[in-house]
Amino acid sequence: MPRRSSLPVAFVAPTLVILLILSMVPTLYAIVIALQNRELSSTAYSWVWFSNFVDLFSDRRFVNAVWVSVKWEVVTVVATMVVAIGLGVLMFEVAAPRLRNLYCLLFIVPVLLPRVSAAFVWKFAYHPLYGIATYPYRLLTGGLIFDPLSKPSTALFAVASVDVWQWGLFFAVIVLKLLETLPPQPIEAALLDHAKRWQIHAYVTLPMLKAPLISLMFVKMIESLRSFDLIYVMTRGGPGVATETLDMYAFSQGFIESGKVSYASAMAVLMMIATVITFTMLWKRVQA
Amino acid sequence: MSAIVCSHVDKAYGATTVIRDLNLSIEEHEFVVFLGPSGCGKSTLLRMLAGLEDISGGEVSIGGKVVNDLDPGDRGIAMVFQNYALYPHMTIFDNIAFGLRRQKVPAPEIRKRVEAVSRTLGLEPYLGRKPAALSGGQQQRVAIARAMIKTPKVFLFDEPLSNLDAKLRNHMRIEIARLHQSLKTTTVYVTHDQLEAMTLADRIVLLKDGIIEQIGSPAVIYEHPANLFVAGFIGTPNMNFVDVAVGRKDDRWSLTGAGTVFSIDGSRFGLRGVSRAVLGIRPPDLKTAGAGATGILQGTADLIEFHGNDALVTFGSGGKEISALVPARECPVLHAAVRYTFDEDAIHLFDAMSGASLRKQ
Repeated sequence: MPRRSSLPVAFVAPTLVILLILSMVPTLYAIVIALQNRELSSTAYSWVWFSNFVDLFSDRRFVNAVWVSVKWEVVTVVATMVVAIGLGVLMFEVAAPRLRNLYCLLFIVPVLLPRVSAAFVWKFAYHPLYGIATYPYRLLTGGLIFDPLSKPSTALFAVASVDVWQWGLFFAVIVLKLLETLPPQPIEAALLDHAKRWQIHAYVTLPMLKAPLISLMFVKMIESLRSFDLIYVMTRGGPGVATETLDMYAFSQGFIESGKVSYASAMAVLMMIATVITFTMLWKRVQA
Repeated sequence: MSAIVCSHVDKAYGATTVIRDLNLSIEEHEFVVFLGPSGCGKSTLLRMLAGLEDISGGEVSIGGKVVNDLDPGDRGIAMVFQNYALYPHMTIFDNIAFGLRRQKVPAPEIRKRVEAVSRTLGLEPYLGRKPAALSGGQQQRVAIARAMIKTPKVFLFDEPLSNLDAKLRNHMRIEIARLHQSLKTTTVYVTHDQLEAMTLADRIVLLKDGIIEQIGSPAVIYEHPANLFVAGFIGTPNMNFVDVAVGRKDDRWSLTGAGTVFSIDGSRFGLRGVSRAVLGIRPPDLKTAGAGATGILQGTADLIEFHGNDALVTFGSGGKEISALVPARECPVLHAAVRYTFDEDAIHLFDAMSGASLRKQ
């Protein structure tokens, strides 16, 4: 048997080492900091071990941030998928091929906008006096003020709508393209089997697309975790703490309000662990 | 009452006409095969019957009811597709039951009917499986079960056996024939395989470029092809064609071509006023010529295909390729000189200009 060459290892090893350092060092450093009591205002620190984590659980603002994060995740993912599937199926059913291409082009534009730009555009659109999104309300009520971004009950949904506007429309294009790749015969067979158009999609096409749709959902779940820029521009976590997600709260604890870097790090570490566990469980469930 | 009537049916995609002014009536309990080369419009016609293609002009009625504007589900038909078109994510049971569920048939009755149908087709062991776990033949049987369970007025088959291997195709062909014998449901079957058409059909509708070339029983189409296209399309190996000049000589007709003169009685054909014709003779009708025979096709055997019982001898005669199907024991050796003759009863004559058969009606 020929001796295995070590050449591949020689080529791969440096890259792997760099990648490992890049990914592992910050993570490990975050964990180390989370076990200390570092603050931005001084260089002195000591090891406090798990007291940051213990403090977190009695911090009502942290509990609120967890709840807001969960709400944000559920609302954006569900709404994106509903919009994507609804619009995708609608285009598939109603639009002629040429019109479909035009819609696809239009629907991809929002996601191409940088998040911060999209956030500013919509922040102005939601402006109570000049915004185009609030214009119908002013028109119907004869000039009453409606400010969705500064009402605790609507702020989260107003910000989420921007996320859905960007990703739901983009995913609608993907859903349409997925539907177009399906063989036409099962759809025709269903037509002959007395299925109505909506039943064809509910019972035949969408179940046939289950695997790619689930993958899309996972992509959106991961994407939804990175909502910091959008929320930061539109509400900065407000009004009050109504849109303060975990990353927003960690950022304000670490850099804005008190400079408690270790405390913020502890949150980041918790978030990482929770995300890894949740995604692993979901993935396993989907695979089964 | 006719089960299906097409009157003056047209189909066009934009400026391209695929089917023009097609008239056809199919009787109840009949097994009709649409046969033709690919692109002849046979599948399009079937899909128009099914309601999967719009009808550009004319009228189609099924069971006495005009169906032009009816949805596929409301036409009282069931269709079996070439690639089975099963629902891949459903079990076999759910596949078969899908249509009944959409019609809100009560669950116990669905169960009863699915079991009955799957017993007929031998699918009972597979009801819990997904289509991907079945072989091609079994999948096609599921597709047939899915069509049968709706107890339709008309079965439509769109090249159902094309995806199967040769042996399975034979087997399924026999199963479909048996099924039609027992169910007696009116059936329209599309194929490009003439063997399937000949063995299954009560009547064959032979199509070319969206026009019906001939309608008739397999025997009529084989023995009395209406024109050159039909004669060339039906029959394996293909019919031999020889261009001949027609002449009159002592109460008999003479056909001159392929370097020889054939003298025929010609009473079966309307040869008056015809100067040029095409003589058609099927390879099995050519016989080895004896010493004193006249009207001989001769040449050098340049290809011999051994079929088992017989052999196909191909030779050039007067610039034409001619094939003769002879018993294997009479098979000549390659490059040997061969001489074949034929009976006048076996020949076909076609007008050289129009291609229409010259046979008297």
